[in-house]
Amino acid sequence: MNEKLHGFLFRIKGLLRRKRMDREMADELAFHQEMLRAKLLRAGVAEADVDAAARRRFGNASRWQERLRELWQLRGVENFGRDVRFATRVLRKSPGFTAVALLTLALGVGANTTVFSLINGLLLRPLAVPGSDRLAVLGITGRAPVTVYSFPEPLFRGLERRHAVFSDVLAFSHAKMQVRGNDGNENVTGQFVSGGFFPALETAPLLGRTLTAEDDRRGGDPAGFGVVISEHFWESWFHRAPDVVGRKLTVDNTVFTVVGVMPKRFIGADPVDRPELWVPLATEPNLNGEMNMTKAAIHGWWLSVLGRLQPGVTLAQANAEVAASTSAVLYENAGDVGWVKQELKGHFQFEAERGSAGFTYLRLEFRQPLMAVFAMCGGILLLACLNLTSLLMARGAARERELATRLAMGATRRRLTQQLLTESLLIAVAGTALGLAVAPLVSQALGAMLLSGARQSHLDTSLDVRVFAFAAAIALTATLVIGLAPGLRATSRDLNEQIKSGQHTIRKTERHRWLPRVLMSVEVALALVLVVGAGLLASSLVRLYRSGEGFDPRGVENIQFSMDKSGMAQGALMEFYQGVGSGLRPVPGVSGVSFARVVPFMGYTWDWSFAVPGGKDNDIWVNSVGPDYFGTMRIPLLEGRDFAWNDTSAGGMKVILNQKAAALLFPGGDALGHEVKQNNGSDEPAVLYQVVGVVGNAKYEELHSDPPPTAYTAMTQDNDGRRSPSYYAVVRTSGDAGSLATAARLLAKRMAPGIPAPVMTSMMTTLDDSLSAERMMALLSMFFAGCALLVTAIGLYGTLAYATARRTSEIGIRMALGARRAQVVRLVCGQNALVALFGTGAGLMAAVLVSRALASFLYGTSARDPWVLVGSVAALALIASAASLLPALRAARIDPMAAIRCE
Amino acid sequence: MGKTDEQGELIQGTLEMLVLRALVRGALHGYGVAEWIEQTSQQVLKVEEGALYPALHRLELRGLVKAEWGASENNRRAKFYRLTAEGRKRLEAESQRWARLTAAVAFVMQAS
Repeated sequence: MNEKLHGFLFRIKGLLRRKRMDREMADELAFHQEMLRAKLLRAGVAEADVDAAARRRFGNASRWQERLRELWQLRGVENFGRDVRFATRVLRKSPGFTAVALLTLALGVGANTTVFSLINGLLLRPLAVPGSDRLAVLGITGRAPVTVYSFPEPLFRGLERRHAVFSDVLAFSHAKMQVRGNDGNENVTGQFVSGGFFPALETAPLLGRTLTAEDDRRGGDPAGFGVVISEHFWESWFHRAPDVVGRKLTVDNTVFTVVGVMPKRFIGADPVDRPELWVPLATEPNLNGEMNMTKAAIHGWWLSVLGRLQPGVTLAQANAEVAASTSAVLYENAGDVGWVKQELKGHFQFEAERGSAGFTYLRLEFRQPLMAVFAMCGGILLLACLNLTSLLMARGAARERELATRLAMGATRRRLTQQLLTESLLIAVAGTALGLAVAPLVSQALGAMLLSGARQSHLDTSLDVRVFAFAAAIALTATLVIGLAPGLRATSRDLNEQIKSGQHTIRKTERHRWLPRVLMSVEVALALVLVVGAGLLASSLVRLYRSGEGFDPRGVENIQFSMDKSGMAQGALMEFYQGVGSGLRPVPGVSGVSFARVVPFMGYTWDWSFAVPGGKDNDIWVNSVGPDYFGTMRIPLLEGRDFAWNDTSAGGMKVILNQKAAALLFPGGDALGHEVKQNNGSDEPAVLYQVVGVVGNAKYEELHSDPPPTAYTAMTQDNDGRRSPSYYAVVRTSGDAGSLATAARLLAKRMAPGIPAPVMTSMMTTLDDSLSAERMMALLSMFFAGCALLVTAIGLYGTLAYATARRTSEIGIRMALGARRAQVVRLVCGQNALVALFGTGAGLMAAVLVSRALASFLYGTSARDPWVLVGSVAALALIASAASLLPALRAARIDPMAAIRCE
Repeated sequence: MGKTDEQGELIQGTLEMLVLRALVRGALHGYGVAEWIEQTSQQVLKVEEGALYPALHRLELRGLVKAEWGASENNRRAKFYRLTAEGRKRLEAESQRWARLTAAVAFVMQAS
């Protein structure tokens, strides 16, 4: 064994030093010849005869060299090198085929790698912290049909104290914080983090220290609140000042001391977020004022919770432990025994799951759409491979002569198959490389589209080990799938029979040509499935957009004013908003200005319990709006009146209901003028509202759901600023959005210089963003369907072209014997017609089955929508006919004499 | 010529054993090995170059000899071969096997 290994290593060395080895061998043999000559001379042989004598003894020098070289070569590597060179030559000789093959494979691999990068970035990639595989995400089951991943503060604190299975339990929550700079406040992304956050994530700071449990106590560190900043913030805000630790920062009107700086690669436990500040969880009441989440106790569900497993504890053990401790934690911390009993009856339970990739809400939203798209990519890749296999088989048939000759000259079947496999390996590798080259850009663009502008999320779709491994696996599988069947087929035993029968004028049955036909049928079926899927998703999206919002979103701009840290009292606030309204109205193009707390489709919800006095409670969605809201939004005012600026609390609380709410609270009766009671929780008295108007139904949170029963309260009656004082200005404009934004900025600067610059978003953008998953799916599926049709067309054309080329002389004879052109066309097309027919049939059946999986993504569209099915079949039929007609027409133009002659 | 089998080619293993033996006394170049075998066998065993060099290279690949370039007696550049420790061990084993083989053949030929 040792000798073999030694030999192998030496041979590798020889391979690398090929030239030197050759020279040395020549020198060695030359030396021997020298010595031999000298000996012959000494023995008395004449000069002239020495050469001849030496040559007689020594023989052919180059033959010895070749024998020596043979000893040294690595048989496998040499063969492989030769195969690659030969394959390159073959591929270069048919550029059309090579181009098609490379492009279809690049498409298949590129698509898969792109989507896999997205999946990797969102779902798989572990956090860049040490021991990320020891992290677990905590969730709650039983409370809702899906697992809930938001915890209320008291329950988290209860879990935080337990160390049976977790060495650290951490919680965090995103927050948009306002940091005071020279020009007033600026909005900065931050996170509230518990004391166990930094210890659990085990990353050392660049400067200073991280936050600890000491910082996370109610009231904070006696030295003052501490904040940890990111390296990026240190650069942009402090200009990398070396003395940043100890400097003060005013966050949300509260003074913090910078205690540390985290390195750029640290982003916390949410892979999609890039926070600039980390503040202790216990400071949340200070930052968020009266309506803070901590105060809401078990009514505020806002914390994401993770835990670091104790050494030696498995995830399953941890899961069992937290589940078992559910009732104990609830009873100890929830504070409301009745509520606890109710939740436990509903099978409320804690659970722990894999947390190496951290936690982000985006996962919940995009996991299924991404998986669906990934399945589509798999379909396209399979399509590409099938296409290539068919084309290669068709090409192999054309090369039968060459291969049979080589077999006859002594090549083994194994070597020939190896060589054919090398061809497909080359195509696979080149196609994969092409696909990989394009993937990062495309996945970046797709990721951006997915997470579109309004949210500030960053998806890291860079290529890493996992993606490369995935691409490599695809390339390898593709090689085998594409190359094996044609390779084996082309070198099969009855090859000799084939070349004997010349240009196949004598034809045996075509029965052994069934495999390519089956493959093409499968390809047609696949293409049909993809087209049907695209059709369904596209028509679903169109229906979504056409479903109506209840208001007119085109031309509406929403401008966000962050007033919550302005320190203004209620009266000043209303004056400010009135000022904004009158300041924006004269801007050219503006036809209406109003205000609202909640903008539709942004994902915020607000609901209260309303009841007719003496009646039962109803869950009704709420929005607080300014005067002329309904006019600006073009929601019809059906009864009564709109709010006015002088509708203050003194005159009694007023509410406007939409039709659904009115029907719910006053079934069959008249709502206008009557009173409703609003229950705000057990510890506050109910508030009486008078219904002053009824408006049309408008959608609230998402386009998919019907408009919910909604109650509108007056912005002017938003008493004592207990609710958030920040409102959106809702402006309808037909003019330039840019000038509106500038006007708003200047107004804010003039009237409230300390607040962050107002941010403007158009209603249509918000609407589009809320549909980003559907849009991505529709877009990608249509792209894939288009590619599928193209690839299938090329496949149908290519295989038919090859087959027809081989039958040239047969067709020539037929034409010479009197066949008309139309008959020839029918003969040639007939082959593909059967393929297309079977493929369509199988495809339809498959499509009906597969589209059921899409049903959850469809809106207003049945998974078996007849129009889509008919349309898809028609599209495929058109493509198949066009692809088959071209070779057929060319065959009909064959000159019979020329065809028979080139035997 | 040397010991041949039916087809008139040198038996590889025997030649390699002879080459290893030639190198016991120190490093030699290929020509030197052939000369030594020829002279020591009283001109009976004449090694063909076509068999010698493949044998030497095979031994080098298997790690039984080590090769280095140096100057010959007449100051020419030549490739010298030297036994390695494995080579010595292999020579031991081969010569024992050879002794057993020749004794066995002798027994058979001397049987009545």
